[in-house]
This record gives sequence, C-alpha cells and structure tokens, in this order.
Amino acid sequence: MIRDKTAIVGIGTTEYVRDIGRPELQTALEAIRAALDDAGLTATDIDAIFKIETPGEEPNSELEVARNLGVPNLRAWGGAGYGGGAACAPVVHAAMTIATGMADVAVAFRSRNRGSGGRPWARTGARVPGIGAFEIPYGLVGPVQQLALVTRRYMHEYGATSEQFARVAVAQRACASKNPRAYFREPITVDDVISSRMIADPLHLLDCSLETDGACAVIVTSAERARDLKQPPAYIMGVSQGMGPRHYMMSGLIYKENPFDFPTIYAARDVYAMAEIGPNDVDVALFYDVFSAMVLWQLEAFGFCEPGEAGAFVEEGRIDWPDGDLPVNTHGGSLSEAYVHGFNHILEGVRQIRGTADCQVKDASIALVAAAAVVPSSALVLRR
Amino acid sequence: MTEQTEMTPQRPLPEITPLTEPFWRAAQSKKLVIQRCAKCDEYQFPPELACTHCGSPDIDWHEVSGRATLYSWTVAHPPMLPYFQERSPWPVVAVELEEGPRMIAGIVETPVDEYEFGMSLVAEFEKISEDVTLVMFRRDG
Repeated sequence: MIRDKTAIVGIGTTEYVRDIGRPELQTALEAIRAALDDAGLTATDIDAIFKIETPGEEPNSELEVARNLGVPNLRAWGGAGYGGGAACAPVVHAAMTIATGMADVAVAFRSRNRGSGGRPWARTGARVPGIGAFEIPYGLVGPVQQLALVTRRYMHEYGATSEQFARVAVAQRACASKNPRAYFREPITVDDVISSRMIADPLHLLDCSLETDGACAVIVTSAERARDLKQPPAYIMGVSQGMGPRHYMMSGLIYKENPFDFPTIYAARDVYAMAEIGPNDVDVALFYDVFSAMVLWQLEAFGFCEPGEAGAFVEEGRIDWPDGDLPVNTHGGSLSEAYVHGFNHILEGVRQIRGTADCQVKDASIALVAAAAVVPSSALVLRR
Repeated sequence: MTEQTEMTPQRPLPEITPLTEPFWRAAQSKKLVIQRCAKCDEYQFPPELACTHCGSPDIDWHEVSGRATLYSWTVAHPPMLPYFQERSPWPVVAVELEEGPRMIAGIVETPVDEYEFGMSLVAEFEKISEDVTLVMFRRDG
C-alpha cells in the first residue's frame, strides 16, 4: 500500500554551525525553500507539512511555516514525538499521507538550534516531574549520562570495548573529512577518541554527537509525479515506527527485563517487511549516532550481525567507506557532520541513491535510514 | 516551584505526586516499597497507574527487602548541573532488586574502583529535605 508509491524529490539544508544567529523558524524556511528549488517545485505545490517534535521546545509550528512560505492550503500536518526517535517519522507520515491520497506534496523538516540554544537538561527545575523524579535527583541528568549507564551494561554482557566504539567515530570522521558541510573535518584516530576527555564513563567526548545549529528539509510526493521532476527520485520502499513492550526511554531501558530490547528492533522488522528486503540488500546505512555505541546497537537491530557481534563488525572495518561491505554514516553523521536530530541522515540517504554523495557508495541502490534506537523509533528504506 | 536562581547550586528533587507519594513516604521511614500486580503478581518499578505487564489497574505497594545487586553504573563529569558538577566526578548506579525490578540510585561508602557487576548491595536512606529521602545503596558485607 505504501511501498514504492512515494519518493523524496528534493533536499535542502542550511549551513551547520555552532551559532547560526537566526531563529529556528527562519532556518526551517531556508531549508524548505532549498528543498523546493532542488525538486523544481514551489511553495504553492505544498499541501502537507510534518516535523520532529521535542517536548518544550517547538517554536516552529506547521502553521507558521505554511504562512511564511505562502502555502495556499494544508491538507495534512503533524509533529512526530520523541526527538531523535522521530528522525525518520516525518517522512514516514508524509509517505503515508501521500500514498493514501490525502495530499500531493509534503514537506518534512527539522530545524534546531542545539548549538546556541543551550542544553535542554540545563533547564532542569528544582522539582523534577515524571519518571525523571527517580533518576535526576541521583545525578543521572543528561542523555550522555543516561546512555553511559546502558552502554556499560552492554559492554559487560557482550564484551564490547571502548576501542570498538571509537572505531565508529573514526570511520565517520574519515567520511566527514571529504564533506564540505561537515562541522568537524579533521581526521581522528582511535587513540584520539580514547584519550579525549571522559564525559560520562565509559563515553568520551569524541564518542558524543556535536551540538550544532541547522535545519534540514525534504520534499515527498507520489512516485508518479516524482518521475517528472528535476532530480532522480529516491523511492520510499519502506517506512516504519516501533516501540516494543514496556518501553521506557534512554536509561529507562534498564526497567525492562532486557534493556537491549530496543524500539529500533521493532522498527527494523517492519521496515524490512514493507520494503520486502533484508540486511543483505542494503548498500549503505545511515544510523542515528548521538553516541558512538548506538551505531553498534543498530547494526544488531537491523540484522547486519547477531546481538553482541557489532563490536567485532566495526573493528573489522566493515562500516568503513569505501572498503567496508556496509558503509555507515557516509556524511559523518551526528558525530562529525551535524546534530539535527538525525534528519541530516535522510538527506545523505537521498544523495547516495542519486549518486551525488561526497563519499559515494558505488552503485548504491538501497539506503537504510534509522532513527534513535533507545526512544520510540522510526526507519526508512530508500531505493533508486 | 521553590524559589531558585540559576546561581544556587541546589540539588534537583523529585516532584511528589499522588502516584509516587507512597514511595517517598515509605523512604522517609527507611522502607523501600514498589508496586506489585494483584492479578499477575509481577513487581514493577517505576510507579505506574496500572500493571505494565498485564494492564490490570489492580496494583498495590509492597515493602521489599532492600537487597540488590549492582547492574550498571556511570561516573559523570562536566558539563553537569551545578550541584553535581561541584561534586564531580559523580557516580550513579543502576541496581537490580532481589524482587526483580531495577532502579537508578546513589551509592555510598564504596569507591568507584571497587564496583563490580553483581556486587551485593543493601538499601540506605538519605534524608535530603523535609519531604524527600533518597534511596541509596551500599555494599552489603
């Protein structure tokens, strides 16, 4: 019903910098206009808008975006929740909306001043509501601390090492060094990562994503219309969202019997089923990499190796570009290109399908894009 | 909300709600209580409005032994909230209660370099304010 019915036909971004000096609404508009230009469409073609949401920091409503672009009418809109878990979800909803005939041309975007706007956890109040009441008073406050706790248990259960996590950061930086958009382009070594400042043991500074400002947008339309537009379409073969049972986010995973029963495992199963493919069909993977260890969890969730084997997979160079059999985050990812809640990974998936990536995977015909593993998640499969 | 400026390095404390009040009240009298389902008998933590195993709303609070093992930990370094940053490096642990559920907690009287997975722990209670006593753990024996 959705498979191959829609395509990404335009991509656009702003620059990725520490302090972009403009509000998120403005950078959203810039990225969307760039994506429309790329597609050869105009704002009058748009009739749907979808975006990523994070509670408490959403100045960029669909109506403000539509009004400021001059969109004549919106027939569908919505925000997908849970931050990085929603990395792919606006495109999931766009594909669903267009495949069912509710709209013809959808914008999906993320705009975030995460570099200049401060850290969300720094605004923690004197009294902590919700489940955080059982975590934050003990000093488990920010995402890096939360996932450090999960990472340490993963190392214990599966024998993964800091050197293996470092290999992820090194491989992605090597790609970023060829990407003019990337925030960090200086190549690094495993030693650089291991000897970088400890942030939350066992995660070092260079295991952590950037804190940048920027916006990204894509245009989705029907496969039929896509064939008449400027760019080669990146057809959307599969879309999914997944949460799994008794889900608690981030460090909350430890409340589950098996903390490694990640939401992304459920998103992986369903996106493969819809696309009618398996891991052997994937030419390039764009994985949510807010911390290096998460890439290992996604390699396992998406069946590129068995649970616990991703460390060795990475160590053998199998995610490296160009020689690995599954190049991962060929733009540099959140560790080196930019942190835009993983939305920049979708744009790289499209570039790979078009054949225009800076680190182009030869003959790439299927790209997998995955959102954060540890929160309610989403995934996409794109094809030529 | 209490009055707090950004310059006052105050420890963030739990908001106590009708749902969580039994937990915090028990902690004040040095008791650790968690929920258990009357229908499927599963324990659960953190507190919820219903059993997250079977969906039954028929759940109740039960005192547990306070015995646990060390499940995981991290040691946090800056950047952190001011209260913790002033005391960093700051360890946080995850413990597995003898009854099954796991929780995040603080740890006392045990240097980080002595932490071991599965290490036996026992609950302690640290009064922080008039209405908040945090559940801590220390090495058992």
